[in-house]
Amino acid sequence: MKTPFAPPKRQQGPARVADAAPQAMIELRGLVKRFSNAAGEFTVLKGIDLAIQRGEFVSIVGKSGSGKSTLLNMITGIDHPTEGHVVVNGTDIYTGVDESQRSRWRGKNLGIVFQFFQLLPMLTVLENVMLPMDYVDLYDFEERPRRAAQLLEMVGLEQFANKLPVLISTGQQQLAAIARAMACEPPLLIADEPTGNLDSRSADMIIQLFQRFVDRGKTIVMVTHDPSLTARTHRNIVISDGELVDEAVSRSLPQLRHRHMLEFTREAEWRSYQPGEIILEQNQTVDHFFIVRSGAVDVVLHEESGQEFVLSRLEAGQFFGDVELRTAQGSIAIVRAGGMPVEMLAVPRAVYLRVMNASPITAEAVSETMKKRWEGVHFADHPRSDEQ
Amino acid sequence: MSSILELNKVTKTYSTAAGEFTALKDVNLKVGAGEFLGIVGKSGAGKSTLLNMINGVDQLTAGEVLAHTDEGTVSIHHMDEDQRAYWRGRTMGVIYQSFQLLPMLTLVENITLPMDLADNYRARESKMRAMHLLKLVELEDHANKRPAFISGGQQQRVAIARALANDPPILVADEPTGSLDSVTADHIFEVFEHLVANEGKTIIMVTHDAGLTSRFSRTLTMADGELSGDMEETSKYDRTGIRRRK
Repeated sequence: MKTPFAPPKRQQGPARVADAAPQAMIELRGLVKRFSNAAGEFTVLKGIDLAIQRGEFVSIVGKSGSGKSTLLNMITGIDHPTEGHVVVNGTDIYTGVDESQRSRWRGKNLGIVFQFFQLLPMLTVLENVMLPMDYVDLYDFEERPRRAAQLLEMVGLEQFANKLPVLISTGQQQLAAIARAMACEPPLLIADEPTGNLDSRSADMIIQLFQRFVDRGKTIVMVTHDPSLTARTHRNIVISDGELVDEAVSRSLPQLRHRHMLEFTREAEWRSYQPGEIILEQNQTVDHFFIVRSGAVDVVLHEESGQEFVLSRLEAGQFFGDVELRTAQGSIAIVRAGGMPVEMLAVPRAVYLRVMNASPITAEAVSETMKKRWEGVHFADHPRSDEQ
Repeated sequence: MSSILELNKVTKTYSTAAGEFTALKDVNLKVGAGEFLGIVGKSGAGKSTLLNMINGVDQLTAGEVLAHTDEGTVSIHHMDEDQRAYWRGRTMGVIYQSFQLLPMLTLVENITLPMDLADNYRARESKMRAMHLLKLVELEDHANKRPAFISGGQQQRVAIARALANDPPILVADEPTGSLDSVTADHIFEVFEHLVANEGKTIIMVTHDAGLTSRFSRTLTMADGELSGDMEETSKYDRTGIRRRK
């Protein structure tokens, strides 16, 4: 096989963004994408800010039309933003970079896996895996078949190396596509519904493989519909109507519809507290539902004796305020920032109650959580005075 | 009309846990140059296995497949892997239900890729040829777009253009309209008919859709690994590309 597409030689590569040491693998800043068609202008991405750190395994979920494919196309450089910046592995990929520089950059930095594998039907499995090496010209010509064979071994397809794709199963085709994506040892793997076309056993194999890559320090961003997969990633990002849902909201109230998550994200006030600072006094009127974004808060009761005890400690993704908002009573306990600064989302009462009325399944899940929290601390480790 | 393909007593047997399974039984078939041959049958009838025998993708158990092209007569299954891959690259274009275009490449790059791989054309020539092929499938205006930005039917037309990259005399298509709506599928048939009538291509297409029969110059039915129907070679077109009267 001859080397196809010798990429044009360039004097200069894309500009490096050379500052802050522990750089995020992916940084999206103020990303806007507008399409115009006969019906007028349509904004698909409405100002996205996102940082994904090196070594993170991140899933992205969103309904059809939410903008998730467009978002992925921005990261891979397949489409280009109307406004904003995309910095991937230290390169601002749309600023001062032309199409062929971007192609060359992509070949070295990104592995991409798609739902429908995109193996070339006229090439053997081994040749398909060698394709990106030819394209990027990173490895010696003689080294390529050996390296491709190693990659196939990694995904367990060594005995199918010389077969054409049509003769192996769809699960095996996806494994071959993953081997191809890893051909040039990219630091970042982007996967668009990689298991969408596979049975659950094959899907499980693919995710295990991804977890091995992450263990080796790769960063993986995966779009998926499958909740059993999102549960196995470090972070799950929800996109709705071209905007990102605050991760604390989607983590704390996963039963909510995406549009309701987005409503909470939009309507919530951001609050921050110093270590030990009181967030709510006992009996204070509660007019917000609180979600912890970072740090931890203590829910504390004061006894008549003046002693206090901690009912529970709530960390990122946990919440409080539900009971008080529903019963319109004052705070049952004192809520206080823990030993670290705390960031909090405060959803106004009216918004909270409206959404909960529209989402009985979430309301039920929230009250279940509350019930467990109270049961759990039912003074087992701190008996009430009448039991003493 | 001369035969371009000839299958003699082709048999394919698979061994499975449940025992031996015969996917093709003593299949004899002659395909004439310039035919648009349809092979219709249910899922599991052996259609795809037959295509894999014709393009030499899979090994046969018994029999032989002969191809008679400008390069002479070859027995497809008596070549070694490398020879067969080289021969296939020059002689057969393949089209599948899923289009398998590389998403990071533009349409024109997707089409030049097989030419670059086969080293058949110089770089400038391959670009020009790719543009010519895009024009043939009426997508020249989209040449520099990436596959994500065109419709499924357009993607399949690009896949057809790619299959034609090295100017093979034979195209084999496995359910090429399987994931397209009927209007879009109709457009794909128009492209195929044009290729047969005006470009002298021979097309063999398998489908489960018996409703497409009228579009082929000849239709065979496949069931349980056996072919039936009109085993004589025919063409709707004479050598000048004029449609014959039925």
